[in-house]
Amino acid sequence: MTVAVEYYVLLSMALFCIGLFGVLTRRNALLFLMSVELMLNAANINLIAFAFYHGNLTGQVFALFTMALAAAEVAVGLGIILVLYRNFRDVDVTVPTTMRW
Amino acid sequence: MEGVFDYAPAIAVFPLVAFVVALAFGKHLPKKGAIPGILATGGSLLLSVVMLAAVARGEVYHETLYQWAAGDAISEVGTEGITFTFGILIDPLAALMLVIVSLVAFLVHIFSLGYMNAEGETGLPRYYAGLGLFTFSMLAFVYADNLLMAFMFFELVGLCSFLLIGFWFRTKSAPSAAKKAFLVTRFGDYFFLIGVVAIAATFGTLQFAGDDSFVTAAETAITDGTTLFGFDADTWVTITALLVLGGVIGKSAQFPLHTWLPDAMEGPTTVSALIHAATMVAAGVYLVARMFGYYALSPTALGIIAFVGGFTALFAATMGVVKDDIKQVLAYSTISQYGYMMLGLGVGGYVAGVFHLMNHAFFKALLFLGAGAVIVLMHHEQDMWKMGGLKDKAPVTYYTFLAGALALAGIVPFSGFWSKDEILYDALIVGLEEPVILAAYAMGLVAVFFTGFYTFRMVFLTFHGEPRSEAAEDPHSVGWSIKAPLIVLGVLALVAGIANLAPVAKLAQLDITFLESWLDGEYGAIEGLTYGAYDGLLGYDTEYIGTESTTVLIAAGVSLLLAFSGAGLAWMLYNVPEPVAHKERLGRLGDAAEANYYQDEYQVWLANGLTVPLARAADRFDQTVIDGVVNGVSTTSLFGSGRMKRLQTGIVTNYAALLVTGFIVLLLVFGILGGWFL
Repeated sequence: MTVAVEYYVLLSMALFCIGLFGVLTRRNALLFLMSVELMLNAANINLIAFAFYHGNLTGQVFALFTMALAAAEVAVGLGIILVLYRNFRDVDVTVPTTMRW
Repeated sequence: MEGVFDYAPAIAVFPLVAFVVALAFGKHLPKKGAIPGILATGGSLLLSVVMLAAVARGEVYHETLYQWAAGDAISEVGTEGITFTFGILIDPLAALMLVIVSLVAFLVHIFSLGYMNAEGETGLPRYYAGLGLFTFSMLAFVYADNLLMAFMFFELVGLCSFLLIGFWFRTKSAPSAAKKAFLVTRFGDYFFLIGVVAIAATFGTLQFAGDDSFVTAAETAITDGTTLFGFDADTWVTITALLVLGGVIGKSAQFPLHTWLPDAMEGPTTVSALIHAATMVAAGVYLVARMFGYYALSPTALGIIAFVGGFTALFAATMGVVKDDIKQVLAYSTISQYGYMMLGLGVGGYVAGVFHLMNHAFFKALLFLGAGAVIVLMHHEQDMWKMGGLKDKAPVTYYTFLAGALALAGIVPFSGFWSKDEILYDALIVGLEEPVILAAYAMGLVAVFFTGFYTFRMVFLTFHGEPRSEAAEDPHSVGWSIKAPLIVLGVLALVAGIANLAPVAKLAQLDITFLESWLDGEYGAIEGLTYGAYDGLLGYDTEYIGTESTTVLIAAGVSLLLAFSGAGLAWMLYNVPEPVAHKERLGRLGDAAEANYYQDEYQVWLANGLTVPLARAADRFDQTVIDGVVNGVSTTSLFGSGRMKRLQTGIVTNYAALLVTGFIVLLLVFGILGGWFL
């Protein structure tokens, strides 16, 4: 049984919107980071679905790249969060606004 | 003797060495630097005479010694690659002038021994250093072989005049006079500089002589009818010639840039002698003579030179009539005499102009040194009304001064008569064809009367009559170092006219115009730099009143008559035991003449009334409009960025929201344009 590609797209869209919602509303930097992961995964689902639909491997390869990227991003992001915490004793992303100008 | 010219650079280098020695060691030398100066100028004189002899044997020298810059720009006439060089050009004119300059400088140095050293003056090393530098600049200027080198030494001459006029810098008037001399002549030099640049850009060369000279290039351009910078070639030559003339008018104290020269009397009298006879003021006229081939190409420029010269001759002579200070009279006389030289050159009387330059150098140096001697006699009194009766007490000074005065007034057979008469004769024969020149001639002729008058007014007031002050009754004595230069120059003032007895030669059909043959290259000359070559270029027609002999006789007779009547009037008015000023007879005209026709006031008014408001307006324009635009631009961007930076919150969430909103808006826009929702 094959699932039609529209469903994957719908799933991806839902996942992406949840992630976006998280990014826009959450203040906790860790949740922020998780929301970003959700959005990245939404993109991954799309990539794999279309790769399967078109019958070539490019999309899957790109999904692997995205995962590597996500891992790197998390490493950097966690570093930033650690510094954030050290400087502000908080992980609320709305507190540090000193880089404004 | 090919090698003789190898020593030519030394002519100028000797005084330069004297300058350095006087400046560095003058304090420790026995005569405070006078000895090196005398030796150096003596050496220069000796070498100059050797050069003169070499030229007389038919040799000339034109060599580029040093090239200090070369460019590859293409000039207007297409010549590629201009080079800036130092070179030496010794032709009959330069050789003659070298002798004059070094002779006068030599005598001035000797005279200084009696004039400056005897007075316990301080700062003597500075004085002798100045004299040395002055002589160096002028000698180098004289044998410069290109216009740029000439310009550089022209400027250096101006600097030296600044240094020497302001020698007594502790007084108030001397520094002010020095500044005035520097600035006024500088004003003319701006035009000169532009002229040099224009000539370089047009012809790609600044050489005075040879096939690649700018004179030859200009001649070719005019013959070919080339268009230069949008002008006809001859118009452009006139423009550049007039620009260079600006420098000449400033340095040679021609109207309207003559105002610095009377003030320059603030310097030591010896310096005045040097400035007036052989260096600074002579430099301008010499430059015209040096570039005469170029001026000959432009009748307009020549006409202007003649007119300015004639006007200056008369204008300055009338001011000389009412002055009371002996040096002031001489100063105005210098302006007037250089006016004559310009008149002579302007009417194409190249020989006459150079002849007068030579004679004037001798008799004006004599008169200034004589005035210096009088000032020593009078215990530093310069007012002629406090003198009188010096005739019997200082016979050497009197008779030499009298020789100078007779030469200046143009009384036959003294040197001044021959050269002035030749100038006037040349002006007359051209003037009979050209009304403008005739006007210049008329002014020059009237000035002869005034010259005779003020010269003998000065002589009678100074030497004749009864002593009018204690100092005049008991004059200070003068030494040999003062008398010797006076005697040498006195003899020269008497006999120098032999060089070119043109009227006699014309009347008696004799070949005795030595100076004319000399300048015509009969002995030796560089091609194109001879009187004959210039004469060929001139566009003047000449005419005679009746025959040539009648014209000569009438011209000489009229000017001699005027000179005698001027001197005679002075005799009547001032050769009395108790002379009075007679100034009230002149009325308001006399007041105006005494106030120099309000030239200084006029120029101050010009500066205050015109230049300052203009500068203020320019400043306001700069402050408001130019700076306004610049400041406006920066204010606008400051204000804009002030508003823009409010978009930055520093909160990551906001940026994310903005990103998403932007993405959605873009999506919608592309969607609508792409026709998705149709």
